[in-house]
Amino acid sequence: MAQPKRSQLTIRLVVVALWLALVIPGGIQLAAHRNYKETIVLGPGVTEVRKLSDWAPYIEGTTNDCNIYVLDSGVPGGTMLVIGGTHPEEPAGVLSAVTIVENVVPKVGKILVAVRANKSASTVTRPGDAYPQFYTIPTDFGDRKFRMGDRWSNPLDSWPDPEVYVHYPSGQMLAYMDVRNLNRTWPGRPDGMLTERTTRAFIDLINAENVDIFIDNHEAELEYSVISTIVAHQDAADIAAMASMMLSAMEFPMGMEYSPLLLHGLSHREVGDHTDALALEIEVPEPFLDRVRGITDEALLLEGKDEFVMRAGKAGLLYEKIDENGWHIDERVGRTNSTIKMIVEMYNEFYPDRQIQFEGLPTRDEVVAYGVGRYLLNPAQVGANRVVQD
Amino acid sequence: MFYHAGLVLAVMAVGFAAGILLRMGTELSILIAALAGALAHGAGVPVRHIVEGTFTYFDVVLIFITATYFMNLLKESGGVSYIVRGIIRRFHRSRFMLLLLLTIVMLVPGALTGSGTVTVLVVGSFVATVLQYLGISADRIAAIVFLGAAMSAAAPPINLWAMMAAAGSNMPYVGFTLPLAVISILGALFSVFYLGWGGTQRNIDLDKAMKELPEPPKGTSWLHVAVPFAIFFGIVLGGRLWPYDMPVVGLPLAFTLSALTVIVMSPTRLPAMKILSRTVDDLLPLVGTVTVVGVLVQIMALSGARGLISLSVVILPLTVLFAVLWAVLPISEGIFQYASAPLLGVPLVFLFNMKGINPIIALSGMATIWPLGDCLPPTAPVGRAAVMTAGFKGDYKQFLVRLIVPALFILALGTLYIIFASELGFLVWG
Repeated sequence: MAQPKRSQLTIRLVVVALWLALVIPGGIQLAAHRNYKETIVLGPGVTEVRKLSDWAPYIEGTTNDCNIYVLDSGVPGGTMLVIGGTHPEEPAGVLSAVTIVENVVPKVGKILVAVRANKSASTVTRPGDAYPQFYTIPTDFGDRKFRMGDRWSNPLDSWPDPEVYVHYPSGQMLAYMDVRNLNRTWPGRPDGMLTERTTRAFIDLINAENVDIFIDNHEAELEYSVISTIVAHQDAADIAAMASMMLSAMEFPMGMEYSPLLLHGLSHREVGDHTDALALEIEVPEPFLDRVRGITDEALLLEGKDEFVMRAGKAGLLYEKIDENGWHIDERVGRTNSTIKMIVEMYNEFYPDRQIQFEGLPTRDEVVAYGVGRYLLNPAQVGANRVVQD
Repeated sequence: MFYHAGLVLAVMAVGFAAGILLRMGTELSILIAALAGALAHGAGVPVRHIVEGTFTYFDVVLIFITATYFMNLLKESGGVSYIVRGIIRRFHRSRFMLLLLLTIVMLVPGALTGSGTVTVLVVGSFVATVLQYLGISADRIAAIVFLGAAMSAAAPPINLWAMMAAAGSNMPYVGFTLPLAVISILGALFSVFYLGWGGTQRNIDLDKAMKELPEPPKGTSWLHVAVPFAIFFGIVLGGRLWPYDMPVVGLPLAFTLSALTVIVMSPTRLPAMKILSRTVDDLLPLVGTVTVVGVLVQIMALSGARGLISLSVVILPLTVLFAVLWAVLPISEGIFQYASAPLLGVPLVFLFNMKGINPIIALSGMATIWPLGDCLPPTAPVGRAAVMTAGFKGDYKQFLVRLIVPALFILALGTLYIIFASELGFLVWG
């Protein structure tokens, strides 16, 4: 009897050793991603870096107490809030926000930027989807590294999910995990779950700062119908329609869609309904998000080239074109930036008393010509007080 | 990329087959397939992906364990035998009512846990005993227990195939209650009555049955059975009725609270830790499967193999899809178990969306067909458990033959759901 017992013990020890050999290095990689501090260089236009909790104390001490970059011209005018990272698996939205912080100089009015609107969602990648944990953008001074993230807040920050998520205040029932989706929890509530509290904090910021234009940066899979478009609350429809027309005529095709009246929780619906801001969302194509995608890696994330997605396109299953050139990150960031610029120009036409004017935002042609890395600043070349972590 | 992903898939298939041939069990065979796929992809042993993949269905696993613990406590406390004895005492003269109520008894555990195995483990032996009193042959009893278990797994509120496919395609698991209820109840009723209406005894000898069935502890009443369920449904309903006032409990804790209620209310002292330990022991193969399936899905996504499968499915003409799904889904379940839902279900949901087919109804149909594969080799976990529970000693093929007519009925219902999904859109609720 002693022999089988000893061999059983040996098997168990081997299994435990194998388990530890997987779990420890795997866990270390997951922890490194969660705790990675992203460097943001404050550009010439940044006058102040505040925390979201400055407007909403109930978010203080949480993962989602993100940086709010203030670019104040000092000249009275309108105020714009741009948020990137609502869905951190959509890097063009994040990088567009970074290029604003690091390049834009306001001339009239004020610009507020959140690079990581849902910071919690940027500290986790989606189990089962094999996302890369980071992506790097080449620059003249070396690579700048950014966290890849998920669509939903990290369960380590917000768990468990309810059996069904009942949206506040509409009462509309949504998927349980969408209680962690920053684009399903607007307008939020201060005593809700983390993501609901985060959207409520942004609403408080928008109201306190009298924000005139609110822009939420996104990317979409090519299998999804809301793509290459500006989604606008009805109050912002004129501006969006004009911006869409001008962009499509002069730069690249960009559609315009009305925010659905009865679909709740989305930023373009609820910010428009619950604040005085004109609410808009920008969607550019990201083949990485398509379920039919091939190899899941950083190259696909940044270059947007995929044979399987192309094949799906040939079968008529996509809502946006794709060819062997793919959808490069430079194209996606550039289109996002050009759309923001055009929205502001149209806004200025409609609201001349609350102008927002700025310089330095790299637009589509510039970003495609030189690469987005050209518009990322070197942290080593500025003073320590001009570098922050997000 | 087509060649690369195809090669990875082939290596995975060989790895899985090798594991099965070496009798390593489904879970280890899936893990071997995943590791072989990662090596073929050139990723070595991607530890982060392996660890991350194990968390893909973490919530599902927690629900699975806590719900089964709740049902096992109810069985140990005498609650299940109390219900079965009550049914027999009241309806021993009515074969119709007996079969109807046995169908309901079988539907509850799987509906709450999403697992047909749980149904077999918790109520299978009681149901088999009552069916024996009705003079039904062992192969028919095994078939009834299996089909009841399969339909209970398909029944709402928890249908793991629908949940996994919906989660993978960013679709809310909302609106499935009525479509799943209609199809699974119809399937269960047809199966039980088709197989159970015959038999040598028209009625049950009450005295004999009462003597042979295990007696619940003295003092057991309907309250002991009803209150734990009331706690569970109270939490679920409270979350919907007062969502902004109720704290978010989550399904695992809701089941745990119900389980604690059983312990507290039990007329006898329950060996709670022993039952918990046995529950986890019983569930390890299923939990293991679901966990390694997460790893497999992650490696497939990493290597492009998932994309190749998805693409191959979505570019098929719809008529071909409708013609083959009734066979492909159970076979894939027999091979991959729950992995078949994210593998095939997710791309199909996207395709249905694109073609204007109601994805909730279509997925409900598919999620009712999938559990039928749980009687098919190489895995056949629920089928084997049902055969053992029914005490059927004959050839496994004989048991499979018994399933043919009711299974075809359910397959036809599921296929009709898929084909006429848009017309059946009025069923979407809950």
